[in-house]
Amino acid sequence: MQQLIKVFFSPMVFALGFLWPLSTQLVLETGLVANGWAWVVGVLVVLPFALMAQIRGSWIWIK
Amino acid sequence: MDQIAQSANLAVEGTAEQLDVLERKIAGKYMGIVPWGAVIWGIGNCLVFVSLFPLVLFDVLPVWLAFPVATLNVMLSYLPSHEAQHNIIAGRGKPLRWLNELVGHVSTIPLVYPYRVLRATHMEHHAHCNHPELDPDFDVHARSSVDYFFNFLRNVQPGSARNGAYRRCLERLGQGHLMLDALIYEGVYLLVMFTMAWCGYAIEAALLWWLPKLIGQYHLLYYLSWAPHHPGEAQGRYQDTRAFKSRLGNIISAGMQYHIIHHLYPRIPLSLTPAAYRELKPILLRRGCDLGGL
Repeated sequence: MQQLIKVFFSPMVFALGFLWPLSTQLVLETGLVANGWAWVVGVLVVLPFALMAQIRGSWIWIK
Repeated sequence: MDQIAQSANLAVEGTAEQLDVLERKIAGKYMGIVPWGAVIWGIGNCLVFVSLFPLVLFDVLPVWLAFPVATLNVMLSYLPSHEAQHNIIAGRGKPLRWLNELVGHVSTIPLVYPYRVLRATHMEHHAHCNHPELDPDFDVHARSSVDYFFNFLRNVQPGSARNGAYRRCLERLGQGHLMLDALIYEGVYLLVMFTMAWCGYAIEAALLWWLPKLIGQYHLLYYLSWAPHHPGEAQGRYQDTRAFKSRLGNIISAGMQYHIIHHLYPRIPLSLTPAAYRELKPILLRRGCDLGGL
């Protein structure tokens, strides 16, 4: 249970649950990328930050 | 006015005992008053915040207009709960106690801070203000406003020590079970954000709650924790909190220019701290308090 809670509140889940669709919808708003590709661009933008937050404990490198 | 003149005279001529008596007498005048404004503010503010979600999702209100309203709602959400934390609306055993607890619980929903956690940790902040280990808000301190900004950025990171400050405080108090409240609040917040985001409303979720919450936290910690306790080195009743003159005025600084009064007499409602300050000022000067030119 404790492990499940840790996963739910982890930066990676926040990135997948919120930041990925957010960045995708922002990309779509620009009108430069088609729907399917917007999800790919969205995840490419968010993934480095998510990995940094998950591994280093900071979304923006500084600690 | 007589009282101000009397306190000014005593501040110069009176003995320490006379000063104590007069200080308590002045403070007593401002206590025991139900702050109905804070009750309406706390519940009304939360209702406005919650109503923004359907209004935006059903296209009644544009999100660009809802964003500043939501930000204002989050910035305004803590103080009514703060009144409740100090039992100012109604103490234990009083007929209006339920209202005190209702305001406490409801008003901080936009900030995603659970009332019982805030109350327990805030009492520790009062008891051990500026103590490096015992004050749960100690890590908000920074050398300047610019440093505060960078400190805030560090403190909101997932690996920051600040994240565990309240949990450690509650465990020290033997009230670790209250962290369940925090898990529930944060869990519901995340579920709302995830659901909105995956239903195609991620931008709306960001502008209605995610960004307002970050801005609200920045404002709250700046004016309630950093500014009135800066530089955060002194401890003691008359040294751990200061008055200060905010360039943005008393309303934008959340009434915290007079926070020294709150730390001396936490049962004085926020709206009455300026008047209490004016009456107590000569005594505070005699006590050697830092009044920051206010």
